[in-house]
Amino acid sequence: MRQSNIGWLFLTPATLILFVVGFVPFIYILYVGFFDWNTNAVDPTLRWAGLQNYRSLVFDTTFLNSLARTLVFAFFVVVSELLLGYVLARALMADRLWGRQFFRTIHTLPIVVAPIAVGATWRLLCVPGFGIVPYYLKLWFGIDYNISTNAYHAFATAIIMDLWHWTPFVTLSLMAGLTALPKEPLEQAQIDGGNKLQIFWYVIVPMLKPVLLTTVFIRLMDALRSVDEIWMLTKGGPAEATRFIGLHIWINVFPKTDYGYGAAMSLLTLYVTIVLSWLLFVAMTGRKGGAQ
Amino acid sequence: MAGVQPQKTQRDGFLPIRTNGFDRGFISVVILILVHLLWMRFLEGVLPLWVATVLCLALAVFIIRKG
Repeated sequence: MRQSNIGWLFLTPATLILFVVGFVPFIYILYVGFFDWNTNAVDPTLRWAGLQNYRSLVFDTTFLNSLARTLVFAFFVVVSELLLGYVLARALMADRLWGRQFFRTIHTLPIVVAPIAVGATWRLLCVPGFGIVPYYLKLWFGIDYNISTNAYHAFATAIIMDLWHWTPFVTLSLMAGLTALPKEPLEQAQIDGGNKLQIFWYVIVPMLKPVLLTTVFIRLMDALRSVDEIWMLTKGGPAEATRFIGLHIWINVFPKTDYGYGAAMSLLTLYVTIVLSWLLFVAMTGRKGGAQ
Repeated sequence: MAGVQPQKTQRDGFLPIRTNGFDRGFISVVILILVHLLWMRFLEGVLPLWVATVLCLALAVFIIRKG
């Protein structure tokens, strides 16, 4: 048997699974997106709507605001996690750090907590009149912190919660990438007289690019579909201050049973996610004349 | 190395990045969807949507051949 045929044979199980759990639901959602289908309506059957769901979508300010809010949230969390993650990775790799293994373990613990439990814990920490965060912020700094009434407080808390939960993942990825870097180019740059910033920007970042790209993709896609943590923390409130796109779709699809419109919203969100990821990929790897 | 083929299909066209056939098809689809959504939002009251479809298909052919 030819080598390429053996390769395809090994790939077949994974391809079949991906086809069943990925491609088939996608085609079904694409199909449903062209129908008006609400099981709580007078006529609960599928009725052909053509592009009407998408037509409604581009005029739906709640949806568009939700999408914009999610993009702002994703930008803040991805950039902050990358910066924080890099600093922590370098700190946890430093030889002179006492109790390095202990800190690594403690630092990694949030990753293993389920998102719903993270949301519940932060809710208990931040709930007005009960949580310790508003209590001490008031006592020490005089800040009237209230995630139930103040939109900025709720949004900032959602970002901080995500940072707490997912920065360790970025740290671990970057630590793996930094550990695997060859020493010779760094030593060469030092001999050539490069300062720390130059070595970081012209040597470490280019060599770390595949790891950075993978980490940013994973975090970007996760941030764009945050639901359970936010639901537990604020239920999308106050008003719609933390109603991110995943939560907005969930509210439309499940309590309101508007499946056709929900499918259209999901597809548009998928479109935005794919385009953003592709633009990021092109910006980091595909410039004309740049390194491939 | 056995089994690794050189990427002969990548080329420099008018697009600002080096692309292969799949990239150009993907870019065409992305533009088609974006133009249709914007058309429905801002222009459909004046011009019907099939105009956008025709324009996008012409643009897709141009991108795939010259991009």
